Amino acid sequence: MSDNLQIHRSVYEVLKGAQEPGPRLVANWLGGVLDAVEKGRPIAYHPFTTFSEIMVALDVQPICCEAWDIVGLQVDPDHAIKSIDAAHEAGIPPELCSFDKAIIGSVIRGTMPPPSMIAQSGMPCQNAYITYQAVASLTGAPLYVCDTPYDTDEEGALEHWVNQYKGMISFLEEYSGKKMDYDRLREVVEESNRCVEYWLEATELLKLKPVPHSGPLSQGTLSGMMGFGTPEGTAAIKALLDELKDKVAKGETAIPDEKARVIWFHFQVFWDNALMSFMNEMGAVVPYVLFDDFRVEPVDTSTPEKMIRGMAWRALQAPMGKLGRGAFDAFIDDLLYAVDEWKGDCVILGAHPGCKWVTGAYGLIRDACRERGIPLLLYDVDLVDRRITSAEESRTRIEQFLTTVIDR
Amino acid sequence: MTALEELRQPAKTLTNPYIESWKEKGGKVMGYYCTYVPVEIIHAAGMLPYRIRATGSTSSDLGDVYTYRTMCTYCRHSLDQAMRGEYKFLDGLVALYSCDHVRRLYDIWKAGKVQPSATPFYFHFLSMPMKADGETEEWLQSGLDRFRRSLENNFQVRITDEALRQSIKVHNEKRRLLKSLYELRKQDSPPISGTEVLEILIASTSMPVEEFNQLLGKALEGLRGRDGFSDYRARLLLGGGELEDPEYVKLIEELGGLVITDFLCFGIRDFWDLVDEDAEPIPALAKRYLERVSCPRMIDHPRRQQFLMDLVKEFKIDGIIIQRMKYCDTWGGEGAMMEWDIKKESSPTPYMVLEREYLMGAVGQMRTRVQAFLETIGR
Repeated sequence: MSDNLQIHRSVYEVLKGAQEPGPRLVANWLGGVLDAVEKGRPIAYHPFTTFSEIMVALDVQPICCEAWDIVGLQVDPDHAIKSIDAAHEAGIPPELCSFDKAIIGSVIRGTMPPPSMIAQSGMPCQNAYITYQAVASLTGAPLYVCDTPYDTDEEGALEHWVNQYKGMISFLEEYSGKKMDYDRLREVVEESNRCVEYWLEATELLKLKPVPHSGPLSQGTLSGMMGFGTPEGTAAIKALLDELKDKVAKGETAIPDEKARVIWFHFQVFWDNALMSFMNEMGAVVPYVLFDDFRVEPVDTSTPEKMIRGMAWRALQAPMGKLGRGAFDAFIDDLLYAVDEWKGDCVILGAHPGCKWVTGAYGLIRDACRERGIPLLLYDVDLVDRRITSAEESRTRIEQFLTTVIDR
Repeated sequence: MTALEELRQPAKTLTNPYIESWKEKGGKVMGYYCTYVPVEIIHAAGMLPYRIRATGSTSSDLGDVYTYRTMCTYCRHSLDQAMRGEYKFLDGLVALYSCDHVRRLYDIWKAGKVQPSATPFYFHFLSMPMKADGETEEWLQSGLDRFRRSLENNFQVRITDEALRQSIKVHNEKRRLLKSLYELRKQDSPPISGTEVLEILIASTSMPVEEFNQLLGKALEGLRGRDGFSDYRARLLLGGGELEDPEYVKLIEELGGLVITDFLCFGIRDFWDLVDEDAEPIPALAKRYLERVSCPRMIDHPRRQQFLMDLVKEFKIDGIIIQRMKYCDTWGGEGAMMEWDIKKESSPTPYMVLEREYLMGAVGQMRTRVQAFLETIGR
């Protein structure tokens, strides 16, 4: 096995015997990838907005590219930076999304197993389109991108989208040499339905004041990226849900004295796991992180057609998919909804430099918050590259902001 | 003033006497940002399609209030112009998902942060696919039908199939004339510079197409007898995204790099492909706009790359310069992929990416880079 995969192999070796559902989920995914590499099984790259149920059902090993780099980041804080720099050296400009640069760079460095195929649901933004074309160009792997309708209320939009989704299934069948077994897909989707059900239940518990848990529901994120439709994925989020329920039953809260509730309206900062704890120390809790807002309907698995339509619709409604692909109204609406439902006192938006689809209309976010009297902090912080804003700078900005919120 | 001189004027200002005259006669002007907007439909509605530029903008301070430093400066300057009322001649805006920057610019405009001139101001966001296949073509046809109905309902006009056919014909005529212009550029001593061509291209997007066609026809006759440019160091292809500043091209050409052809969105990508005049108009438009020489918003880099390399052969190009607006994601990725592919060729064409802002700054740096590039070509 290539030494270029040693970081992920070492994580697998550490976790493979784990009993806890979270680590088992990661181990299961990594083990599947490493096994696919060793045995030459088909591997499909996909972004986090493209759920892997179809691949799981076809027994094609999915690699959520963002998740691959997130795992690397936990072991080697410079893992992503090395890949980003490799992308820069190859001519990819610095202002592209660092998630995407890390993916391109990981392909260049060979620290991600090469794909047999690449399947993308076309969300959330243009950086994603560019990235997977670049990866296809570098690897020669066939690429399928679902064309996403901009406005799902537009006449015929959903039919178009479902057709595109069906096209993705055909593509995966063609390049894996396998035919979809819809009974198997039903099993997988019923599993992902359970995963979503538990995830939603967990996020509902975070509406409680005081909150039993602060920060991202990481096992949800991991399930969504690494184990959607697998028993390991469902078990991980179920374990977290049970833990939360237990805390609620015992009256346990995230922190003893909740002074402020922060709506973190983006992904967490993946290289700075202590940032949430820092806010906790100030008396601020984070009951909401964007990717956990998985308000999607369960997929009807009664027929293959309904299943495909349900999966397609769910992809459009999932976080980032829903907010990234269309007009900015949805972003503002969901931000205000989050503040209301999760009883937010303020909003922090880490302005990930690659997210022009968010920061491009920053003034609209500011105006909406101003009209409602919601304190807003939007500050430059890269979710993957720790060189853009240091941990110290993050803390300084957040501390200044939260002090004003808490003192109100 | 010769026809050529007249065609070079509209690039200098945001509006021009053609637009003013159009407005005085009660005509409507529909703004758009992207060459994927089917101007034929706008024209068939009796309106003047106008490709929005930010010509004359000297700062983006006002626009920056609503956007962020990582938005491309073209969009920021355009937003600034809009907020200052410089687009008061527009009656509406048609946009599509050209890129994340343009679509947020549209959102800010639609949210009422820009004072419109017309009341009500028309907005339409076209769902233009990112790839071309049978299914997306059908989807686009329905989108174009919706756009047509939207214009009809909002402006109480009727866009007949016959009007669309006429519009297709006259825009195809424009495209043919522009192709004839580019044929002249293939000569060893082309009779027209890249600077002049960009001015003509800008004119084609900011005046009535019928008048443009007439002027260009006359200009072509004049060019056939014109002495060509022979005192140049290299034949260049200038590519990239939005470029509306002829001074940028002039700087390159003053250093001896004659811009023989382009891969620009004001250029070849806008006009190279015709619409089938024998087919039903809406399906013909859908097919043409999806299958035309694509911009990096479309997911078909290999096809674009092949077209680029064909242009290099056809126009006997010595070097490729890609100019990229800072923060432009699409050209960020495309520029890198082009370079990777060129390097795989047995005799790679010299290639350079020049990063720029909307306003021409760092001229000294640009001159140095272009000079060095021309020297590496061996000229």
